[in-house]
Amino acid sequence: MSNPYRLWEIQGRSNTGPFCDEDDFLPKIFSPKLREIIKKYEIKYDPKTPVPADDKMADRIWQAGRELFREVGLYNTDTHRIIKLSDEEISEALYATSDRYWVGAGKDAVLWKHRSVEDREPPFCIYSPDCTCSEELFYSYCLSFLKEPLLDGFCAPILEESMGQLIRSASPFEINGCTEHIYKMRLAAKQVGRPGTFFVAVGTAEHDAGQIAVSNNEWGVRTTDSRIIGTLTEFKTADTLLNRAVHCAQYGCYAGNLTGPIYGGWCGGSEGVAVALVAYSLNGLCIYGAQFNQHFPFHLNWGSNTTRELLWPIAMAGQAMARNSKLLYTSNGFANAGPMTEMLFYETACHAMVSVVTGWHLWEMASTRNKFRNRATALEARLAAEVGHAVARQGMTRAQANEIALKLLAKYEDHAADAPKGSEYQECYDVAKANPTQEHYDMYRKVKDEVAKLGVEFPY
Amino acid sequence: MSLQDLCKAVETGDQDKGKQLAQQLVEGGTDPLEIIDALTKVMDEIGEKFARLEIFLPEMMMSGEAMSKAVEILSPHLKKGGAGEPKGKVVLGTVKGDLHEIGKNIVKLMLQAGLFSVKDIGVDADPITFIKEAEAFGADIIGASSLMTTTMPHQKEMIDILTDEGKRDGYKIVIGGAPTTVEWAEEIGADLYAPDAGSAPRLFSELLKK
Repeated sequence: MSNPYRLWEIQGRSNTGPFCDEDDFLPKIFSPKLREIIKKYEIKYDPKTPVPADDKMADRIWQAGRELFREVGLYNTDTHRIIKLSDEEISEALYATSDRYWVGAGKDAVLWKHRSVEDREPPFCIYSPDCTCSEELFYSYCLSFLKEPLLDGFCAPILEESMGQLIRSASPFEINGCTEHIYKMRLAAKQVGRPGTFFVAVGTAEHDAGQIAVSNNEWGVRTTDSRIIGTLTEFKTADTLLNRAVHCAQYGCYAGNLTGPIYGGWCGGSEGVAVALVAYSLNGLCIYGAQFNQHFPFHLNWGSNTTRELLWPIAMAGQAMARNSKLLYTSNGFANAGPMTEMLFYETACHAMVSVVTGWHLWEMASTRNKFRNRATALEARLAAEVGHAVARQGMTRAQANEIALKLLAKYEDHAADAPKGSEYQECYDVAKANPTQEHYDMYRKVKDEVAKLGVEFPY
Repeated sequence: MSLQDLCKAVETGDQDKGKQLAQQLVEGGTDPLEIIDALTKVMDEIGEKFARLEIFLPEMMMSGEAMSKAVEILSPHLKKGGAGEPKGKVVLGTVKGDLHEIGKNIVKLMLQAGLFSVKDIGVDADPITFIKEAEAFGADIIGASSLMTTTMPHQKEMIDILTDEGKRDGYKIVIGGAPTTVEWAEEIGADLYAPDAGSAPRLFSELLKK
């Protein structure tokens, strides 16, 4: 079956669901219920083991996430009502959904399938710099990513300007920026000989109008591409987001549910983040009609997810969903360090390895916590995909991944708060040719060789 | 019943007990300023624990709420003595087109705990709304949060309107949010870039002294 699940019955609950004052939703409903569920299912974070091999706890986290979603639901900030589903409905949606989709077009189409824990099938790799970029660098950025051999899908950086004018959300400038965004992506894909590449687009659109304006199978976002629909942190939505879900369903393109549960925020600690990741995935399936979930849990203070308190929930939620569902989900790395630093490569390798061994697909890599313009490159995404392919092909176990993760964490974890910002794209890439500089390549190769010595068996 | 018990109630986020003990203490003759000083110290410690993530947002929110309830009880008594004025008045919101609220809400709590009077105008707030609310509230500071790069221009838009209307000098402008930087604050002419919630009370206080 292709989602969405019972589109108008579920959408209608924005109007008919239980009323709740928005000020009460998180402190009085979400947070106490999450605490209660963590206790009930005996979920316990152990910092000594960032990659646990605990099937029973993984199954309990699945049950906990399911209960959280059923009991708390999703709050619509426009109608002040909560969209809730019954247990039977959640079961029906989980049964009816597909475990695989053909995405992209023509010879560039790729079959994207559900993965299991310690799966030998390589992950589906979406490359994304996740940063904003200068208008004059955007096209080169696209070329540099689309040249990457292991790329299965591509999400371009976010334009800050279009035709030299600052893009302001929900304004005509945003629509203009979205048009420029997708045209340049299309041209870049054609020039590198991959015209049917699966796109997740367009990131420049913060508002629904910008997304809808570029739905076009000839020049724009195609029905073989995907959109991302955000969920507001935590467990809130709004009509502008639901508009996108309905548009994706009716236009016929793929949809991904984008979520970023916060460690230290309303989810509390690592246990809460793990449970929330599962619950968010059910929200994506049941309310947004998403074919995949795109998760970037992050640390409240650092904005990253490569330290152990975030690797643990990633590892556990991945196992929980791999063992108990057919869902597709990507793990979106947020690194502390910036491009052309060894720290960024270590963080990337660790995040990719932990994610892939525990059932995730990859969406890499938000360097420098995606905070700074032009500070991400395709080379860190390349390392992530290569690590992902390697650990899958060699059949790396969770125990092995845990051992290597501890060694990698020792290299960077203490520098999370004061990580180097590194360099901007144009400082570590030849912009005209869209290739990494020798210095940048050498650093990537050095770290890759070090990671290989730790036990990651790269084929090349 | 002691000041220590009240501090404990705030620390554990027990709102009802906090209100009850504040009432008993002030009726028993304890100086309300002394009570507020003690509670402020408790919230400072809570804030430091939260900054280190030894406790998480729900716990800090509960303590903040308990403190607010206690201060509500104490306020009428403070006014009788002519003391207890807020450190400053702040209008706080997330800019137009942006629905993210968590950072703004944490800043609000930290400011309230730091004895600022805060008017929260919510998310997706138009630049004109910021200005009108600031005028109505008699604000000293306008704080504008943005979590998306494409909504950051609305921070600039508000400053531009204030300048065009000849009202820029009437307010200190603070900006914050994940994609914003000190460079952006300087570029658009804001008075302060707030890098995190924990430092907000101190930075806002210093800003008002300038």
